[in-house]
Amino acid sequence: MGSRGIRADEQVLSDLRIRELVSLILGKERDEFLWSLFLEPLDSIDSVVYRLNVFRDLMRTEVYVVTERLVEKVREALSYLETEKEAYEPHKLGLHLDAALTYIDALERFYSEMLSLGVESDGLKGFLDYVRSIVESEHFKAMKEKAMKAKEARVRMVIRVRIMGDRVVVWRFDGGVDMEKVIEELFSRFRSEESRKVKYIPTTGGMSHIHAAILEGAFKFYGSEYKALKEFYDEFPKIIDDGVAAFVREIPFYMLYISFMKKLMSKGYSFTIPRFTSDGRIDVRGFYNIMLAEKTGAVPNDLFTSGEKRIFVITGMNSGGKTTFATSFGQLVYLAKLGVPVPAQSAEIPFFTAILTAYPAREDPRESLSRLEQDIVRAAEIMHRSDSSTLIIANELFSTTTSDEGFQLAKIFLEELWRKRSYCLFITFLSGVALLDFVISLVAQPSPEDPLKPSYKIVPGLPPSEYMAVRIASKHGLTYNDLRMVVG
Amino acid sequence: MIEFDLLRLGSSQKISIADDVRTDLELDKIVSVASKGDELVAKTWFDVLLSKKTSIEDVRYRQEAVKDALANREVVTKMYQIAKEGYEKAYREVFIFRLDDPRLVVYEASNGIKILTDYLEKLLGIVSNANFTSRAFKGLVESFTSNIDEDFIAKAREISETLWLGNGVDFRVEIGPLNNLVNPVLLVPKNERSFLNRLLSMEKRYTYKLDPRDEAGSTIIDDMIKWVLSRVATPLLNAFDRLMDFFKDLARQLSFYVGAINLSDFLDELGIPKTYPMVDSRRFFFENLYPLSLAVSSKSRPVPSSLEINVDGSFAVIITGVNKGGKTTFLKSVGQAIILARAGLFVPADSFIVPTTGAVFTHFLREEEITFSYGKFEEEVKRFKKLAESLSRGDYVLMDESFVSTNHVEASVVAENVVSALLDSGINVLYITFLQDFLYRFVPKNKNRAVLLVPERQSDGTRTFKLVKGSIQPGYALELWKRIVEKQQGAS
Repeated sequence: MGSRGIRADEQVLSDLRIRELVSLILGKERDEFLWSLFLEPLDSIDSVVYRLNVFRDLMRTEVYVVTERLVEKVREALSYLETEKEAYEPHKLGLHLDAALTYIDALERFYSEMLSLGVESDGLKGFLDYVRSIVESEHFKAMKEKAMKAKEARVRMVIRVRIMGDRVVVWRFDGGVDMEKVIEELFSRFRSEESRKVKYIPTTGGMSHIHAAILEGAFKFYGSEYKALKEFYDEFPKIIDDGVAAFVREIPFYMLYISFMKKLMSKGYSFTIPRFTSDGRIDVRGFYNIMLAEKTGAVPNDLFTSGEKRIFVITGMNSGGKTTFATSFGQLVYLAKLGVPVPAQSAEIPFFTAILTAYPAREDPRESLSRLEQDIVRAAEIMHRSDSSTLIIANELFSTTTSDEGFQLAKIFLEELWRKRSYCLFITFLSGVALLDFVISLVAQPSPEDPLKPSYKIVPGLPPSEYMAVRIASKHGLTYNDLRMVVG
Repeated sequence: MIEFDLLRLGSSQKISIADDVRTDLELDKIVSVASKGDELVAKTWFDVLLSKKTSIEDVRYRQEAVKDALANREVVTKMYQIAKEGYEKAYREVFIFRLDDPRLVVYEASNGIKILTDYLEKLLGIVSNANFTSRAFKGLVESFTSNIDEDFIAKAREISETLWLGNGVDFRVEIGPLNNLVNPVLLVPKNERSFLNRLLSMEKRYTYKLDPRDEAGSTIIDDMIKWVLSRVATPLLNAFDRLMDFFKDLARQLSFYVGAINLSDFLDELGIPKTYPMVDSRRFFFENLYPLSLAVSSKSRPVPSSLEINVDGSFAVIITGVNKGGKTTFLKSVGQAIILARAGLFVPADSFIVPTTGAVFTHFLREEEITFSYGKFEEEVKRFKKLAESLSRGDYVLMDESFVSTNHVEASVVAENVVSALLDSGINVLYITFLQDFLYRFVPKNKNRAVLLVPERQSDGTRTFKLVKGSIQPGYALELWKRIVEKQQGAS
């Protein structure tokens, strides 16, 4: 796993909808440890690179498959050992043996297959070295030998059982005629059209005291075979190595993310390993909203700055994808800080130390502050906390006052961020803000086929001079001239 | 394996417009006489009568069997009763309403096998004394007796009795992964009473006795028994199903011949003759053909009709003339007879020769189509298109006033196109129509393969309900017009 990160700011988690995102990524997995990893962005570039390198290895299908099998098998062995705690004595012997057999086979296969595949990351290379030390140890070899002997012994035990009323009788099996074969042979002279199948799912488990009693019986007839099982159980009380267990707990962080990526990639979406720039440049191509991609489909967009101008002002038509654009970029930066591949064709970004957000809050009657006041409080806090490696995402700040005043406030706020060399995505309806000389203006574009519908493309350019509402009105004859002629 | 085929239907499906044909040709009336209320007979009859493909060889095969069945009517009827009774008894008494309870399945299926084994024994008794001559019935008897004998019946009884009694289970089992018991194999019970067996097993057995208060234990034991039986339950169920299928299939195939016996009795009662049709690709011929459905509804002997046409690849019979002249009755009786002929049955006539064993399709006027409307005409055309899509060379199309939902001028053009196309494709057509343009163009043009029939009128004007060959008289209408107009003019 490398090092752990620091729990992200609640406001950011909520504004960028990170919990929904993680819930999508993890699917049915509810493991708390994994959840917490996704809520803890890393604060050093080295830790991020450490994880991204593990991703580079694991994104190779062969490596993924081999690792996945190890995880499954070790989990299986762990579950046997868990069951063993409550089991009857004759079953304990079997559970213990199969935990060992499963674990031994899994570890050996993982080691030899991984070795031939070759891995590059420090994370996986380190673990592979660790596994080598285990499988080459005398203890492991001895455990394997004894386990195989016990397994062979078990196969030899074949018994005959008769259940008659409340009596269960066990013999060593000494031959008999298979009723099923007799029936099949006898009735095969009649043609068969379609065959119904009896499906039976036992309602009670297979490890009851009755089963245990039958095993006891079997052990009586097979003394030396029983001894082999018993000896293995006594000699190797501990099966699974702690380091391996830890790996199996941590590695799903990568695997779940990769399997999520693959699901989206099969729909034609890209993921890329982010690169970190040192000159302040942002060059992200084809990034998109993961949640939309998962559900209905997402439109990819680009974001670029040489690093000179760092404040993006986004204007344009209603429901044109402005918030989605900003949120998606925020998510991308967040994911990059987790050390995972990001939803884009390519992504070069600075290593942001912090992400700060200011989204319109629903007005809360219990709060004493008004919306405008809240905006200003948040803006002040942001101005205070931000520096040259901060990303700020502000969505319709200062919109609950007059345009003129809103513009003034925005100008002050952005000028301060500009002075601090912070990065900011600023969504607004005030086109004047987009005309400030230190900002990059981005505009939500209408669809080329139908100018009344959005294209969800956000591109550099000047804010629109004509309002959509006016265009719609003219389409229906509500212009000045039209009304004049009608009213006459 | 027991194999027999009394019907030779192969995989032939019913024709696409089976329901239309059934209604238009009043097949229900004929089938009601054959079935005498027996649903299985009725169902089989519809399957055979409306079957799509039939070869000359199939027809001969069935004709031979029908004759055989009439000659051995007691044996055939008895076999049918046993097959049906066995099937119905097992169906009534065996309840396999769920497939997830092996114990129930084993109990019920073995009971079913027990029941059906008794009926197999009865069948064996009858079949052994039968004296069939047809390939169909001889094949059945041969296959049955070479597969079913006293030994089989004894073994089937033993197995079903053992499993039905359910005195515990005796099984082989292995110890698998996790020390779970795996691969249970139910064994044929050993005879424990033998002295040697008891002596040997005494010292080597391990016994566990359930505490009477251990309720959980008894549930587990119950479950374990189901688990052991679950493997044997499927083949046992299949054995039962196979037996059921055998009885069902036997009853179904025999039911056709039971129907033939009934229909034969009906015709004999009314004194209507029976003939086994022949196939001659160059002729369509019949002598004194009785309208069968009419005979059924009137319970009397109706007026028969006769016809002879030379066939050159295909033929057309165009019928026109006054209403109530017996046109539709004629058309239906011909359709019914062709259907009976290809089924391998006898036909109510003195003789009957068909050029092919093709299927019969009908396109009869629907009451709602009488008014003119392009919407309705489109429907009619669509209906005809659907019919046409399933035709093959040698089939028969019976049309009663097709294409009357538009004016006769354009309807005639459509009719001419359609009928010519069918005829040229080797389809035989019988068509009742009043479309004058069509009649005057089509009949003369197809002199060699079309005949025109009109209701017979005796010189005194009385109707005979027979159709006779008529001829086209060009200029008739003009004459008529002239006549009437001139008459009026003359009068004025």
